[in-house]
Amino acid sequence: MGCHRVEQDPSADRQLIRRMLAGDERAYEAFFNDYFPRLYRFALPRLNGDIEATRDVVQATLAKAMRKMADFRGESGLFTWVCQICRREAVDHIRARYRQSRAVVLIDDLPELRRAIEDIEAPDEFDLARAHDRAETGRLVRSVLDRLPSNYGDALEWKYMEGRTVEEIGARLGIGTTAAQSLLARARTAFREALEQAFGAEAADIAGNLGA
Amino acid sequence: MQDHDIEKVLKAAGPRERPPVEIERAMRENLRQEWRSVVAERHGRQRRVALALAAGVMATAIGAWLVVPNFTAPAQAVGTVALTTGGLHAKSGRFGSWERAVPGAPVMTGQTLATEPTGRGAITLAGGISARLDQATRIGVAAADRLVIERGAVYVDAGADAAAAAPLEIVTAAGSVRHVGTQYEVRVLEGGVRVRVREGTVEWRTGSGPATSGRAGEQLTISDSRIERGRVEPHDQAWDWVAAAAPGIDVEGMSLTGFLDWAARELGRRVEFTTPEVAREAAAVVLHGSVAGLSPPEALQAVLATTRMQASLTDGLIVVAARQ
Repeated sequence: MGCHRVEQDPSADRQLIRRMLAGDERAYEAFFNDYFPRLYRFALPRLNGDIEATRDVVQATLAKAMRKMADFRGESGLFTWVCQICRREAVDHIRARYRQSRAVVLIDDLPELRRAIEDIEAPDEFDLARAHDRAETGRLVRSVLDRLPSNYGDALEWKYMEGRTVEEIGARLGIGTTAAQSLLARARTAFREALEQAFGAEAADIAGNLGA
Repeated sequence: MQDHDIEKVLKAAGPRERPPVEIERAMRENLRQEWRSVVAERHGRQRRVALALAAGVMATAIGAWLVVPNFTAPAQAVGTVALTTGGLHAKSGRFGSWERAVPGAPVMTGQTLATEPTGRGAITLAGGISARLDQATRIGVAAADRLVIERGAVYVDAGADAAAAAPLEIVTAAGSVRHVGTQYEVRVLEGGVRVRVREGTVEWRTGSGPATSGRAGEQLTISDSRIERGRVEPHDQAWDWVAAAAPGIDVEGMSLTGFLDWAARELGRRVEFTTPEVAREAAAVVLHGSVAGLSPPEALQAVLATTRMQASLTDGLIVVAARQ
């Protein structure tokens, strides 16, 4: 298991930030379209499925992220950085609302697994797949999809869940068929490695745990 | 892992959840305003909406506020919601619908903000001014530097540095208040207005008449153009609601001395160290963690509990001593 990093290309992160800070409306749309759904899914289970709380926390997180964006150093991926802000906002929200210091700890908040599915950097061996029921395994798989670089998760879902053709995927992403093919190949590799790093298991085992 | 393995895993895991469309739509626009505000601040292009306000007639000011949203330029982001407790709501323009305001949401010109009878809120305006809304308060955001109180009370903290304080005018039906770098409260009463000054100086003006100054520790009660002066100490219990609406502070990496300065300002007191050694130690302590959700007095106790120091509150002072 290598030390392969499947975060968004840091230079792409920095370029997006530069465009946003320059006032490029398309950059804002790209940022929102890419980060909002993933962050929403990141926050929702951490707030016990409370949609109102999730809305508050995600909005506060993204607002804070935009305010601090100029200070983003690129030491981690942009999404990892935003998730760090979100985690603090979620804890603050829970404290503020309930006046108690009870943090919601999810399985992927465990330091080891967090490293695996957020930083996706050379984790130790995990054998968590067996420890979780089907729903939790499914949630973690979806969580892994969210940690893949921009568009990888979407492309994989379109291809393998919705049965879209490569041409259709290329058209959706505004790229050519060859580029879409290449993107799908990279997405598969990244997804496979991220799954193996996160679960320490082969796809067949994961699929078995999911009842497939 | 082969293609069919990927397909099996993905299908078995099921599709990723999509956020509710109405939340996505609202947040896209809220955050767009916030983003524009960030961009504008960076480029120094934040424009201030100029209102046609008849300078001498404050009653006209209220009237102007009510019609402004229909006739002025598009709303501008002028600040951010910093804290809500118990319910803060916002609506755009005169005929907009009320929506719950959440921390991080932009504050726009033309908006009306209202707290519930048990709610409070805080907004941060350009220049870092903190404006806190007491319970059952309703204000209009007329411009980046002008708030109109319809009912209730607003507390303003323009920062400790009077020379650097951004301008702000608080308009009431009876007159308006401008600060000269300060902390103060403006409360609309039945038949009048009360202005309490905790720090610095404010200027009260009715119509085109001369300004009346209020200084730290003073309370001006204005009714029928008569001004009655009284006293209210900076640490008086009258300010307790302000601490309850304090947006909090990010203490990560802050020195204990810096934190104590913040607490002192929020509590209307000065910090006094019992010995030079205690002062030196406080300057050397770097804080880690969060005091989010804690009021200033709670935060003070929580932070000092992690050090070798303790604090006691007396009239006008936070006395910091070595723990016994």
